[in-house]
Amino acid sequence: MRLLEGELLESREILPRQWLQRYRAPWLAGGVRAGQFVHVRTPDYSGLVLRRPFSVNTVDRKQGEISIHFRIEGKGTEWMARLRPADRLEMMGPLGRPFEVDPRSRHLLLIAGGLGMAGVRALADEALASGRQVAILFGARSAAEVYPSSLLPDEVEYVVATDDGSLGHVGRVTDLLPAFEAWADQAFACGPEPMLAALATLAGGRDARLGVARLGRKGRSRPAGLGTPQARRRSWLQVSMEQNMGCAVGACLGCVVIGVKGPQRVCREGPVFAADEIDWEASA
Amino acid sequence: MTASQPIAEPIGAVPGGEVDLGGVNLSVDLAPARPGALSLRNPVLVASGTFGYGLEYGEVIDVQRLGAICCKGTTLKARAGNPPPRVTETPAGMLNSIGLQNPGVEAVLERYAELWAGWNVPVIVNVAGESIEDYVGVVRRLDGVPGISGVELNISCPNVGAGGLQFAVDPEAAAAVTAAVRRATELPLMVKLSPNVADVRGIAVAIADAGADCLSAVNTLSGMAIDQRRRRAFLGATYGGLSGPALKPVALRVVYEVAQAVKIPIVAVGGVGSLSDVLDFLMAGAVAVQVGTAIFADPGLPLRLVDELRAYCVEHDLTSHRELVGSALPQRRERPSVKGVEYRP
Repeated sequence: MRLLEGELLESREILPRQWLQRYRAPWLAGGVRAGQFVHVRTPDYSGLVLRRPFSVNTVDRKQGEISIHFRIEGKGTEWMARLRPADRLEMMGPLGRPFEVDPRSRHLLLIAGGLGMAGVRALADEALASGRQVAILFGARSAAEVYPSSLLPDEVEYVVATDDGSLGHVGRVTDLLPAFEAWADQAFACGPEPMLAALATLAGGRDARLGVARLGRKGRSRPAGLGTPQARRRSWLQVSMEQNMGCAVGACLGCVVIGVKGPQRVCREGPVFAADEIDWEASA
Repeated sequence: MTASQPIAEPIGAVPGGEVDLGGVNLSVDLAPARPGALSLRNPVLVASGTFGYGLEYGEVIDVQRLGAICCKGTTLKARAGNPPPRVTETPAGMLNSIGLQNPGVEAVLERYAELWAGWNVPVIVNVAGESIEDYVGVVRRLDGVPGISGVELNISCPNVGAGGLQFAVDPEAAAAVTAAVRRATELPLMVKLSPNVADVRGIAVAIADAGADCLSAVNTLSGMAIDQRRRRAFLGATYGGLSGPALKPVALRVVYEVAQAVKIPIVAVGGVGSLSDVLDFLMAGAVAVQVGTAIFADPGLPLRLVDELRAYCVEHDLTSHRELVGSALPQRRERPSVKGVEYRP
């Protein structure tokens, strides 16, 4: 983790009030992993006192570039949307814990609700680069808010659900899960908390529905400690959580979500958690 | 500088330690009654709750160059804290309601004391409790532990035995907890004033008389935010503490008032975000400042303020920032009323 500057290369509105910005930030691009985030400084401390956390959306290690995808929600993101190429943005990162893919997993299912695409998008590239197959289930209110398929790699299977049925499946993105749960070796989700909670419930019943037996490894196998990469890697469903954030380095304890073993900092223990590390009832 | 090159890493790392340009002395003694017990090399501290236990920002700044570190609020037993959400930005500020989440004094000492003992920067343990016995219990445990340079009492906690009234709002309760802690330890003792009171001067005097070595002023101002979509309080705990630039004029007023009421040193805290803020607080009567919320946006700020204050002193032919302390206070004949307060010049 470092304090660094990114130089804006390209900025465009990909959906109403949603922007995709590409930055030159070689040091960050060299080390960041899918699921991690950067903490971006706004220009005017006298008015806007907090940095804004953004998942790293895509990474181009060769070019030393990263992109972030955000929606204009307030003054900070309004200011960001007005940045022009060559403008510089102060960032701190990479921060947080990444998604963990089991080496044996061949089929990865990514599930995104709305802006949640920003949280899982980078994993699609990482997974394809390592020869895996990727399907993305995406949910939005209407066709106007559906993440453009042109921004996804061709190899991805992209399935869309809209609340109003204006594109794809009519209903929730979670409705699509059963058709993919047998295919997927692991699933990774980002989106509104009720969506993640519904997915966690579905994931909890998956083994029983599919008749999967958990055999464990040969010899003595120790249970993976909460918050460890092993715990996430062994979990069928990993979720990227969102919370209002202060310091982003674990100092202020502002960004907690409630885990099964008490408060967990999204900035340090997260933002990626194994679904069964979160106390979904307490978080709701 | 090329893009993405670290701006500085760590910020303010000076080969060979402190550089003393122009012979400026920025040191300050926060416990004059115990000479040397809490002497800081510079008057820029980091405020409790914004800097964890001093390690969290270690990757991006040289924490050893800080004046002192006030660590996260520590209680006798572990506390899980408040339900989320716990923070939200407000105009020129933020609200927080962490709820004193901490692992308890034993775990804090076990995890950090040895590390702190090896540091050059003094660590002041912020202490909170729900009863006088709680505070005394924590402080007894801290007493004599290498690595602990002082105690800051957070008295903006409900006194469970007294109907939940905060210690900080009542001169007698504030004095009682201060006196009890004073008897329990020889550690330098800083007591943090609350701005959520009608007249802070009487409370400050009571705390000073009860044996505090210095005061920090101020804690956060109580506030709240509404979640309009859900039509309820936004923060999980309903109320939160306001910090950041919005709090600064309030903190400045409290420092200005208290500086005229007590003789012990005052450490200003509340919205420090620039050298100008530091100068304001010094002129209002503080000998040092704590930087809090501003660290979130700009972790390098505290150390930059040290350098900027030193440069300011050089430019203005000051041998120490202490020459500025209280320079904006009214002359004696103009002092505001301290009615209800025993006044000793």
